[in-house]
Amino acid sequence: MQIIQAGFAGTMESSDIMIRLEPKDSPGVELHLTSSVMQQFGKQISQVILSTLADMQVDGVIVTATDKGALDCTVRARVCTAVHRAANSENYMWRTKA
Amino acid sequence: MFNELYAAASVPPLRLQQYNSLLESCGLKNENDADYTALLYEGDKLLACGSLKGGVLKQIAVDKDAEGTGACASIVSNLVTEAYRRGISHLFLYTKPQHERLFASLSFFPIIKTPSVLMMENRKNGLKSFIDGVPKHEGNNGSVVCHCNPMTLGHLHLIRHAAANCDQLYVFVVSEDEAMFPFADRLELVKRCTSEIKNLTVLGSGSYIISRATFPAYFLKENADIPRVWAELDLLLFAQKIAPPLGIRTRFVGEEPFCEVTRAYNERMAELLPQNGIAVDKIERLDQISATKVRELLKAGKVGEIEPLLPGHVYAYCKNRFK
Repeated sequence: MQIIQAGFAGTMESSDIMIRLEPKDSPGVELHLTSSVMQQFGKQISQVILSTLADMQVDGVIVTATDKGALDCTVRARVCTAVHRAANSENYMWRTKA
Repeated sequence: MFNELYAAASVPPLRLQQYNSLLESCGLKNENDADYTALLYEGDKLLACGSLKGGVLKQIAVDKDAEGTGACASIVSNLVTEAYRRGISHLFLYTKPQHERLFASLSFFPIIKTPSVLMMENRKNGLKSFIDGVPKHEGNNGSVVCHCNPMTLGHLHLIRHAAANCDQLYVFVVSEDEAMFPFADRLELVKRCTSEIKNLTVLGSGSYIISRATFPAYFLKENADIPRVWAELDLLLFAQKIAPPLGIRTRFVGEEPFCEVTRAYNERMAELLPQNGIAVDKIERLDQISATKVRELLKAGKVGEIEPLLPGHVYAYCKNRFK
């Protein structure tokens, strides 16, 4: 999916994650993750975000993620919603591979 | 007990006193200009509050008993969501330097710090990408920051003087939109009127030079009580983060006999920039020429009287637009 505008999903409440996507001029994914469990799960969360984006064929995006201890399924759902909003698409593809 | 969030465009009188006293207990003042305010309660007790003004999160305060409970995160989360809903995606906030970690955990990144204030934004490398977008030139460069609302012969005089006294001149036209002369038109007119000057780069000032984020007082001129700290942040940001990568050694400015806010800003500039290695070159204003006067004449319908104040392109534009 093509990122054409800023899009966000989620909150910064406990057990949730806020995902904000913005178009990037060049290819690739630029990820800025802040997490309350960075030490323990930072790598895992990054990996879930990146793989969800890859499954949805998203490229050329800046991701700002503020995690407050979200489970993987939450992370995936928030990323998926943010992508649809940033792509201005209502053609939901909830079932990514994962 | 559940926490309950109340949010509205303005705070109703019943809640106002609690809100004001929470702000006061945190050393903040209600500036009464918020577009939107969020209040977090536990029963009747106000735990935390925060407001949104354009792209700036302000008046964020947390009751002492609620510190460390995620109350601040709830407020910021709500304000950020509301801002995005309003289509504002680039957000700023000010806080005391000791709270940097708290806001860093909410994905706000530091831009500049004074001993009393820290300015943060919700984009990592936001300022860097602004600087990266500006064409670079070697040499002893200069800068003019102006509103040009609209461009007058006075601005042209200042820009010519400045360009003659530095290698490359960066003219930053204040980007905030105003009703009478939209930014795109102001920028275009500056470019047109200065096209004969070769060593010139004309740009929008973006979010980092005299914007509603860096210097809100400029946009609320009726308020005579100007917090010095705003001017300081804007000037330090310019001196420490914007001027060095662009090789700007001198800031050129016109004398300001009319507007109090601008005059106060210029006075602070004359102190702060030289302390940070940037010279300030202040030139005398051309007699009786000011953009304020042009706007007043236009409002009074006296289009005929503005011609002697304006470059030809600007006069043509005004005649066409306000006939």
